Amino acid sequence: MLRQRLIDAIGADSVKTAPEDLSVYAFDGYSVGALPSAAVLPASVQDVSAIVKIARDCGEPIVPRGAGTGLCGGAVPARGGVVMSFARMNRVLEIDLRGQRARVQPGLINLDLSNHVAANGLFYAPDPSSQKVSTIGGNIGTNAGGPHCLQYGSTMNHVLGLEIVDDVGEVFTTNIDDAGYDLTAALVGSEGTLGIVTAAWVRLMRAPEAVRVWLATFASIDAASEAVSAIIGAGIVPTALEMMDRLIAQAVEAAFHCGYPTDAGAILLIESAGFADDMQMYEDAIAKIVRNHGALSWRVASSAAERDALWAGRKGALGAVGRIAPNYYLQDVCVPRSSLPRALRAIENAAASNDLVVGNVFHAGDGNLHPMLLYDKRDPRAVAAVIATGNEILEAAVTLGGTISGEHGIGIEKRESMTRVYSTDDLATMARVRDVFDPRRVLNPEKIFPSGAQCPEVRV
Amino acid sequence: MTQLSPPTIEEFAAQVAQYNRDGQKIAILGAGTLAGMGLPATRQHQVTLSTAALTEIISDAPSDLVICAQTGITLRKLSVVLAKHGTFVPFDAPRANLATLGGTLAAGWLGPRRHLYGRVRDYLVGTTAILADGVIAHAGGIVVKNVAGYDLSRLYVGSFGTLAVLAQANLKTRPLPETSRLFLAPLPEGSSARALDVLHTLAVTPAAALWICGFHSDIDGEDGSEGRVLIRLDGSAAILERATRDLRSALGRAGVPETRVLNGGAQEVFERAIDAYIATLGERSITYRIAAASADAQSRLLELRRLATTFELRVDSIVDGFNGDIVLRISDLDARALAAKMTIFDDALHDIEPHARVIATDHPNRRGLNLWGAPPPGIERMRALKAEFDPNGTLNYGRFIGGI
Repeated sequence: MLRQRLIDAIGADSVKTAPEDLSVYAFDGYSVGALPSAAVLPASVQDVSAIVKIARDCGEPIVPRGAGTGLCGGAVPARGGVVMSFARMNRVLEIDLRGQRARVQPGLINLDLSNHVAANGLFYAPDPSSQKVSTIGGNIGTNAGGPHCLQYGSTMNHVLGLEIVDDVGEVFTTNIDDAGYDLTAALVGSEGTLGIVTAAWVRLMRAPEAVRVWLATFASIDAASEAVSAIIGAGIVPTALEMMDRLIAQAVEAAFHCGYPTDAGAILLIESAGFADDMQMYEDAIAKIVRNHGALSWRVASSAAERDALWAGRKGALGAVGRIAPNYYLQDVCVPRSSLPRALRAIENAAASNDLVVGNVFHAGDGNLHPMLLYDKRDPRAVAAVIATGNEILEAAVTLGGTISGEHGIGIEKRESMTRVYSTDDLATMARVRDVFDPRRVLNPEKIFPSGAQCPEVRV
Repeated sequence: MTQLSPPTIEEFAAQVAQYNRDGQKIAILGAGTLAGMGLPATRQHQVTLSTAALTEIISDAPSDLVICAQTGITLRKLSVVLAKHGTFVPFDAPRANLATLGGTLAAGWLGPRRHLYGRVRDYLVGTTAILADGVIAHAGGIVVKNVAGYDLSRLYVGSFGTLAVLAQANLKTRPLPETSRLFLAPLPEGSSARALDVLHTLAVTPAAALWICGFHSDIDGEDGSEGRVLIRLDGSAAILERATRDLRSALGRAGVPETRVLNGGAQEVFERAIDAYIATLGERSITYRIAAASADAQSRLLELRRLATTFELRVDSIVDGFNGDIVLRISDLDARALAAKMTIFDDALHDIEPHARVIATDHPNRRGLNLWGAPPPGIERMRALKAEFDPNGTLNYGRFIGGI
């Protein structure tokens, strides 16, 4: 019934029902979800609307999906339903050069947008490390970040308006310049639980005139963290301030040979972008600060090729870890910047007490930590240790005044941890918004909100 | 009407809960500097609850570039505290000596430097809000990146206190620019369009560029035959030297012979320009704000001026050269002369600009105006949000768009 009606509405070519096809949609970057009843590939907003209406008639939930690179199970079904892939809605619809904005379809790959406007001296700022494959729609769902958030802010700051298909298949638009409530703000980061994005107006930035990249090494993560605080405290906000510990640096160097020192306790990758006239001033100021904080070495990337090589190491860090462990679990927490040393010690202790090895590669300037727990998933004890350590890290971050996700989202993975940061009243307030947009819980159900058992006042 | 300023968030919440239980309506007030936006409180409102006593700075972590403050604090006080650490929040709201943090957030004030620094909403990382039933709910946190759950804080921005009372705000801050420079240039006949165009070609994007016509008692400088531009550059000393040369030469090419640097008091001049957005001429003026794209703001302004002229109304205007806002103040000789034509003019204006909003007026008949312009596409959802958050219509009832 469901499948036939979907085929009648959007064509057999756009509806996947074979088990081997469906199994693909039970995965994202987190782990296995449930098998969907069908997977659909809409080509237009009309298709999306028709699909929602059919799914509604058949009592099936909808799970919107970008590239499936999310790390929290946000794009997989929690219990069947229709997975909606935006792979065929991947175009740039309109560019307004003077207004520095673009209207795009949700399936557009993040990096493709920057490439599309590069010749006009513009770029799209949010740059999650998945940007070569992840989509604008998925990025909007999770309010994705990236290294350059430090200067430019997360996806939220770059979305100007949305076209949305709602829970009953009706289309509406939002615009941050409209009078009335900022519905765009409610929708960005809502992980597909409030509406389905079918188009977005996004902000484009002017490409900087000059970019410099520096690499500093320190004996310890603590020393590097203090240098980070000192740089920010001195009134310098670089475009990126990324840290890697020894384990990650060694893995990256072995994989990419990008010139990272492998003997230091911590590496700091610093980028400043802006005006050519300012670059030497930034370089001198930052060099002085890192030296005063005991930097072991200081390197200036002298060419674009060298800059790219230093960044390639950072961007390839996750892949490089694959060389040193069969599996890794990537955690995402954010703490006040000045708590970085304490947070990192807590992470180290949590891993050690569970007999796990941990590597750290993270957005130090934002206090956004990404501990990677190395393990072998064939070993059930290691899996249990990873889960325990992950929870201890969440608890440590919250204790330090931080949060349980800086940029990856909540999805299925962290929904039960929402009670670590929010009271029942806080969550019930969020649920009021859900009640308005999706009272029947057909849009990506069982995500974000903790299951009812822990929190009776909050409907999932 | 009773006015109360509860001294703590808990007492504020208890008051809200009590009035809500009793089915009474509450007007929520900061300093009232933006009271000209939306409908004023009426006899329906039994009480005004002011945030005036909630002025504490809860935590201040300059090296984290965040600050947590209660929302009754004035923007001036906040900026003095931040400036001690060399930081700021680029809110640029009028009458900063009086305006409160909470009022600025609740109004979703749009400042002229937002194309460079982002909007007010982009600086709000967490809130403590009082809901209509007196529940104190937190959203977000004190960290600069946070995707745990819906971003309710930003939803409250621009909601005019109709969803919740903002009691405490966690703000991201940024380092103050090393230096700023302000320029004034009168625009001779035929130069305004080109002058606004060339500003978009500069390597160093100005932090603000306001094309002003009139507002002589409010904003410094003399008009040329096509008004004047007020331009602000923020940056390092080295950049400002270069940017000044480029700016002068670009404006020169656009037919603007004289670009004067304002030495001393530049910040005050800039603030006076922002104050002018809501400066009224007693009861004889109405100020509208229209969101336009910078590319067509000028042509739309000209059409509005023509319309005002046919009604024999005087016009002062500001066009934000980067963000596209049009600020249009129409005035007449006195309140009665204005009253005779204001509703017909208001209709005619909304025929051309359906989304024009009134942002300032002291005229007693403002209820007759279309204060918020045409409802946006999401209005039904907005009403549903109001009903969900405040089913009794306790908070700022009727203040907002569509009777919300």
